[in-house]
Amino acid sequence: MILLCGIPTETPFALVREALDYNGARYVVLNQRKFSTMKMSLEISGGKPSGKLQLNGDSYSIDEFTGVFTRLMDYHHLPELKDEPVDSPQLKFCGNLFDTLTRWAEISTARVVNRVAPMGSNFSKPFQAQLIKRYGFEVPETLITNDPDLVRAFRARHGRVIYKSISGVRSIVQTLSDDDMTRIDNIRWCPTQFQAFVEGTNVRVHTVGEKVFATAIKTHATDYRYAHRQSGDHAALRPVDLSDDLAEMCVNLSTGLGLAFAGIDLKITPENYVYCFEVNPSPAFSYYESQTGQPISRAVADYLSGS
Amino acid sequence: MWLMICSSQDASALWAYQGLRARGLHPFELVTAEMLTTTAKWEHTVGADGANFNVTLADGRIINNRYVSGVVNRLTHVPLQHLAGTPDFEYAQQEYTALFMSWLKTLPSPIFNGVQSQGLSGAWRHASEWVWLAAQAGLRTPSYSQSSHDEIDETLQLRRIVPDGTPTAMVITLGDHVFGQNLPPQIANACKELARLCQTPLLGIELTLGPPHGLWTFAGATPMPDLRLGGEPLLNELARQLYVNRPRRNS
Repeated sequence: MILLCGIPTETPFALVREALDYNGARYVVLNQRKFSTMKMSLEISGGKPSGKLQLNGDSYSIDEFTGVFTRLMDYHHLPELKDEPVDSPQLKFCGNLFDTLTRWAEISTARVVNRVAPMGSNFSKPFQAQLIKRYGFEVPETLITNDPDLVRAFRARHGRVIYKSISGVRSIVQTLSDDDMTRIDNIRWCPTQFQAFVEGTNVRVHTVGEKVFATAIKTHATDYRYAHRQSGDHAALRPVDLSDDLAEMCVNLSTGLGLAFAGIDLKITPENYVYCFEVNPSPAFSYYESQTGQPISRAVADYLSGS
Repeated sequence: MWLMICSSQDASALWAYQGLRARGLHPFELVTAEMLTTTAKWEHTVGADGANFNVTLADGRIINNRYVSGVVNRLTHVPLQHLAGTPDFEYAQQEYTALFMSWLKTLPSPIFNGVQSQGLSGAWRHASEWVWLAAQAGLRTPSYSQSSHDEIDETLQLRRIVPDGTPTAMVITLGDHVFGQNLPPQIANACKELARLCQTPLLGIELTLGPPHGLWTFAGATPMPDLRLGGEPLLNELARQLYVNRPRRNS
């Protein structure tokens, strides 16, 4: 039995559900917005977790679940809870419900897409870059500083430079312009991340267990996710095949970070150097699947089913 | 140089800093979290040459990872009180924390404890995960339960494995040593195994000793134990490990 946790109308969730239907897999849906009808308990005895999950009017032993897909949103932002006071019993109940679910998923023997702890490396891009480098990828030359003089020297050395957040917050990549340089003294109050721009082809690689789906992205924008806003054109996506060695590197990277499912952002230079910018532990794969027809959701469904 | 990185309020770390200096580790620099966030000048790079940092503190000291011989790292958070009330305060908190995760990652071994994705000085784990890990390590564990209908609000209160008020004893692992209590070898070995499993060499482990059969039972763990509980023997071994395992560099 597979447990799907999240908001059923969210596209990635819906695609995985469709794929499970197509496979004829047995699954139950935990609709996060219907939290008030659910109950969950977790016991750990002698290192073995057990417990019950009640939802949709049925009761399940958590041992029944051999695959778990979690795409939970922060429950504070659920429409049913967003106006609740901080000491609301509903908020407390919801917090305890999803905490129990998450704690079980962290230690369960089920196939979990994805556990919370391994997702932590994505909180800090340069931290994650240090891990990425161990798997054989190039990482862009990066400077994090609150010293404007160092930024000027970095820009003089590398020419085109981009800046972006160090954490996952406000993570839109922008080219450092002359106009930006007139405000560069603002970095004194908070260190900022700058990177040498890497020329080449953007490739998003989704890994699902051992399976690999690579998508090339053609765009003139600095950050292809915001192509229309930055360049006025939409990015063009097409499936590409990776060499066996590169595909293996991607799988090794994902599994090394503890991620059953990941979206890896690469740039392949004309000289065939492979730069890795980020490993996204909760990729919005539906965008790539809808543009290319790559069966990513089918692979997730297969993985959850143990195949 | 060796580093003690901690909050200026961490009495346990300040005690250890004095004790380690007295044991001859020199130069041994005290770097507080507050020094790192108020007037420090940061240069942190990642790229083809690896990851490096160079920070100039307000007092003129320069800390460069290439010259670090060993570290006691006790950072739990990034203090930014001086920015409180500014419009981008929450953003700055996220950015500073992400920066700290990264520069701490550049520090060489020996380091007690290194940054992990779940914590600046070792992984902070939930009680459920500690119980699960402790059982794997061979420690006796109490039955653990939690549910959607618990009274606790974990956004306000830490969940405990044993009821509040239960008498416990703290031991501290350091590599192949256990300090603070004279434990039976089997229990001491299980404590060391727990530290190994959670990749936290300097680990505080809380145990109960009691009925029904006078057995040691796991009650909690932390990557931030009060080092004073290990006393002078802990400092002796910590100083030894910091010295013996320091990186050998070509001059």
